[in-house]
Amino acid sequence: MSELVALSPREALGRALVDAGEADRDVVVVTADVGDATRARYFGERFPDRYFNVGISEQNMVGVATGLALAGYKPYAVAFSMFLMRAWEQIRNSPCRLGIPVRLVGTHSGFSDAYDGASHQSLEDLALMRVLPGMVVIAPSDSCETYEAVLQTVDSRAPVYIRVGRELHLPTSCTLGMKFEVGKGYVVRDGGDVAIISTGIMLHFALEAGRILEERGIDALVAHFPTVQPLDTVLVERIARRTGAIVTVEEHSVRGGLGSAIAETLSQAYPVPMAIMGTKTLGKSAKSPMELLEYYGLTAENIAHRAEELVKTARR
Amino acid sequence: MSGHWDPGDMYILSRIMWAVRNTGELRRLACRARRLVLLMAAYDPGIHLGSSLSVLEILTVLYGTGRAKFLDGSSTKNWLILSKGHAVHAIYALAAISGIVSIDELRETGSLGSMLQNHPELGVNWIDVATSGSLGQGISIGVGIALGLKRRGSNGRVYVVVGDGELDEGQTYEALATAAHYRLGNFVPIIDYNRVQLDGHVDAVRSKGDLQRILSGMGYTVHTVDGHNVEQLAEVLDEVDSSDALNAIIAYTRRGKGVPQIEDTPIQRIPRDLALQLVSQVTCDE
Repeated sequence: MSELVALSPREALGRALVDAGEADRDVVVVTADVGDATRARYFGERFPDRYFNVGISEQNMVGVATGLALAGYKPYAVAFSMFLMRAWEQIRNSPCRLGIPVRLVGTHSGFSDAYDGASHQSLEDLALMRVLPGMVVIAPSDSCETYEAVLQTVDSRAPVYIRVGRELHLPTSCTLGMKFEVGKGYVVRDGGDVAIISTGIMLHFALEAGRILEERGIDALVAHFPTVQPLDTVLVERIARRTGAIVTVEEHSVRGGLGSAIAETLSQAYPVPMAIMGTKTLGKSAKSPMELLEYYGLTAENIAHRAEELVKTARR
Repeated sequence: MSGHWDPGDMYILSRIMWAVRNTGELRRLACRARRLVLLMAAYDPGIHLGSSLSVLEILTVLYGTGRAKFLDGSSTKNWLILSKGHAVHAIYALAAISGIVSIDELRETGSLGSMLQNHPELGVNWIDVATSGSLGQGISIGVGIALGLKRRGSNGRVYVVVGDGELDEGQTYEALATAAHYRLGNFVPIIDYNRVQLDGHVDAVRSKGDLQRILSGMGYTVHTVDGHNVEQLAEVLDEVDSSDALNAIIAYTRRGKGVPQIEDTPIQRIPRDLALQLVSQVTCDE
């Protein structure tokens, strides 16, 4: 999938939906007037009779996707992450209570839609989806993982939420050739002093922070957890035992996301000092996602700084 | 207790359940279901008695004429979604008459451990979409199923029973508009227009406007019926099922139909003694 490196996350999503549709005739796509913006329209152009645009009605979209799943199809319901969240109660009471595989794809997540500002910047979606029993929650780091997340959930038996960005592409997993597998975390760089654990696009910054720390004589382990739920608790515990201190970082609220999931696990299994990095904002308009990440402190330098602090204070 | 109900009825009715055309039999079926709903009200004050009684004839005709079935795994089957899931006790009563659950199970409804939860849940695998209860969502699910059936070329139809109060939820109109956009002739919304919602009469709480004109403006052919008249209901369903147009049925009903103490009021509950007394008074053998 080397050509994916050149695609933005949403372009990879459009490509993945078409390939899923080629592989399985039961795959259908539902969208809510964002077929173009999410690139779901590529599927509609290839399979017009399996593509349903329900207009600007995300709550309705979740119900329609649920009905298609009941009728034997494998629906992907694609909308902006922020506005998919207005259907949280529908997601809980329809696919989750039925326990059926509706695959929800929320694009424009985090700061990826920099222009549109707070109303469009979804920084709470991982928390909202993770609280639902049985929901699989995936935050791919780049186009390669986005593509894999779509293809690997075609035969899912559980409801799924996949969090996708827009144009900003930091192709770290593509470059590393990492093997994405739903439900698994992976270690990108070994180290014994402290661990940095990322989800979503923060993998890029976590890895860079690892390099900065190396220059400062700190041996950091860097791990990536594209699947936030079910959490790979075996790997989390192994990392905690190996390093004794963990920094988590996500392009998402510090409440309820990956950091919370890891803290919930470790506080009951193997408590270690942690720093949970993420956002404490509803967002802002800016000229680029990178500008926002920097403004809100989600930089490699800041991650390294927090890791260093943790190393120096944790062992006293 | 046994004096109020003769379990023998159940076996007689289960034989005629699936394709009743005779109006008298449908009426008798509704009467027996009404009696069982009252029996459940005597055992569980938490059931939504008034709502179950308003929708009772609509569901009786859907099941009684064989349009809806309790256990049908076939790919050509029809689907029935009770979007106003709180009225599920009307379905439980019909299910007991068909023999799929026992009268003892009806007495346990709403109890911890009973499969007959007070809003339908997955444990009742003989209800098509057993997770209603949150209002406004059933139509969207029905539209999704209807789109799927249409694409497969299945003859199955999707009946969605919706409350009038439920139309306050904007999602209902999102879904009705989607069905209209796709010209879903296999999708049949049936509005149980009982004029009452939780806080009072619909016109006092929030007017539903001229529903016939709203729906016809959206592209629906609107049929209105007396929702307690099984003959009218059967006729309009025959008419709707023989057409591929976009149809909607408004069934005018009375909340609490058959219990004068709560009829046309928001009251859902009656005392146990009254419920038992009513069970003994309802006679269904005309």
